[in-house]
Amino acid sequence: MSALIQTTDLQRTFTVSAGLFKAKKILHAVNGVDLCVNRSDVLGVVGESGCGKSTLARMLLGLTPPTRGSVQIDGQDISKIDRRELARRVQPIFQDPYSSLNPRRTIASIVSFPLDVLNIGTSVERKKKSLEMLERVGLPARYAKNTPGQLSGGQRQRVAIARALVINPEIVICDEPTSALDVSVQAQILNLLLDLRKEFNLTYVFISHNLAVVEHIATQVAVMYLGRVVELRQTAELFKDPRHPYTQALLASVLTPEPGLGIPDTGLGLSFPDPLHPPSGCAFHPRCARRTPECSTKHPALRRDAQGEVACHLYPSTR
Amino acid sequence: MTIDSNEIVLDVQGLTVDIKTPRGVLHVVRDISLQVKRGETLCIVGESGCGKSITSLSMMGLLPKTATRNSRVFNFLGEDIARADKRRINDLRGNRMAMIFQEPMTALNPAYTIGDQLTEHYRHHKHASAEQARVRAVALLEKVGIASAAERLGQYPHQLSGGLRQRVMIAMALMCGPELLIADEPSTALDVTIQAQILRLLADLQAELGIAMVLITHDLGVVARIANRVAVMYAGQIVEEGLTKDIFAAPQHPYTQGLISCIPIPGRTIPGGKLGTIPGVVPSLIGEIKGCAFKDRCSSAQERCSGDIPLRHTAHGQQWRCILEHQEVAA
Repeated sequence: MSALIQTTDLQRTFTVSAGLFKAKKILHAVNGVDLCVNRSDVLGVVGESGCGKSTLARMLLGLTPPTRGSVQIDGQDISKIDRRELARRVQPIFQDPYSSLNPRRTIASIVSFPLDVLNIGTSVERKKKSLEMLERVGLPARYAKNTPGQLSGGQRQRVAIARALVINPEIVICDEPTSALDVSVQAQILNLLLDLRKEFNLTYVFISHNLAVVEHIATQVAVMYLGRVVELRQTAELFKDPRHPYTQALLASVLTPEPGLGIPDTGLGLSFPDPLHPPSGCAFHPRCARRTPECSTKHPALRRDAQGEVACHLYPSTR
Repeated sequence: MTIDSNEIVLDVQGLTVDIKTPRGVLHVVRDISLQVKRGETLCIVGESGCGKSITSLSMMGLLPKTATRNSRVFNFLGEDIARADKRRINDLRGNRMAMIFQEPMTALNPAYTIGDQLTEHYRHHKHASAEQARVRAVALLEKVGIASAAERLGQYPHQLSGGLRQRVMIAMALMCGPELLIADEPSTALDVTIQAQILRLLADLQAELGIAMVLITHDLGVVARIANRVAVMYAGQIVEEGLTKDIFAAPQHPYTQGLISCIPIPGRTIPGGKLGTIPGVVPSLIGEIKGCAFKDRCSSAQERCSGDIPLRHTAHGQQWRCILEHQEVAA
């Protein structure tokens, strides 16, 4: 089966001004990411803030062009796909439903907007279709004339989902879709996303820093550190038996609601490194409990095997 | 130092907070009672708008001007602070009772160095010299795990990462050796790895120094790992309270049960399966709520729920407000 989403050596750099008389610096937000997502899979992307998760999402959406490498959808390079055509196939759901919806428009017009832009159907059909979609995401039609300001956070996120799905996309890029929501609302939105995936045969890229949520929704997980994927695996295996020391530390720091276990010692150092001055060799080595002298000098090659991918000197590349 | 773990540091009974708004009076906190003992961690958990942050601010006397606070009892170490004058409150606040805020970036002043902000209240409260305060600040920064502490004193908040800023906040709260520490979502804005470090640090320091801690959070994972006791808030009321292990093993109030069923728990929930949900929305806090505030969203609601709701309790101190009696819950 060929992959629906394929990224090849995807890279994005930003030029950052360091000061008036200092040379500009290059920030590698995403640094050589190869990903492959099959149709109706859910790829979870996890990592700490600043690891490049959101830049990756924007590149998959075609909102930020890559500096190097490419994103292909169904074998087609997205830089060569017409923007409208791309939007019809790939849609976003963002973190903050307070800022991702136009506060001056009604819910009905927000949801039907993609149909208007793409000029799909007559205005009556568009209206009917958007009301159906609102109904489907659990928002009664009586809200159609309201503005986002009159809705709660969970309801707004439902509007964002309806807007993303109204044009029947194949891929939905969810960037922290439940992070701004309360737990009871988060559960409703996760249930909805899982139902919709089945119903419309959707493929999700699901970005989150909440590992419990990713474990629940994703079929495979990519762990990112300083712009690179350090481990990629099927979800159940990753959570059962993480290989990369960073994945291990990340999983160990999740506070599951189990009383009596206390607070884990992550063994990680004080803070995430400065992406402007990434450490030499393996970027994770200053925080790694299992580092060897090799780690500070040599960048670990990616090992691909039956279990997935891992980039760490503990798992030498087979090539 | 021996710690008398039965000494009640904070004793609040019948606390209500009302806030005047153009739309009417919001009854944000409705008759809650809390006690925290020395060396104990009480977590107040609830969803946005349940009144948990206002409760924490009211304990510190930091409510907005539009808010009014009433209580039957409001004692800090046996002293009635509800009726204490402003001077006395200023003596206690930042000194014997301290607070850690959620957003270290907004809670720290960007125009002053870390050193200035760490030493200011210490010098004021303890009448210490600049040098004494500096020594104390360095010692505390080291205690919260900040390397090259002496150099950090000259830095500004923007030069520190989020995790470091939160450590500075903790050090600042501990400067005067408080007996009560109130932490409002101290780790919410941080990455999971940093969150674990910060909470571990807080728990260690609190145990070592025998501080009574009230921790406000919406994260049940945090609650399970750090709290001795839990108070679950809903619509300005505490609907259930008890020892952490009891609350998680056998939650009695339908809201607590719903809240726990909502979160994906490895090994307990099936990946990709249905998570529990709580239908409906939180009631408006304007005006009186008749009977149980949760009745409109509760699957076990009955006619009796609109009447007086009894406060039920088990022999080992778990309390809940519900018409339902104790039920064995399969974990």
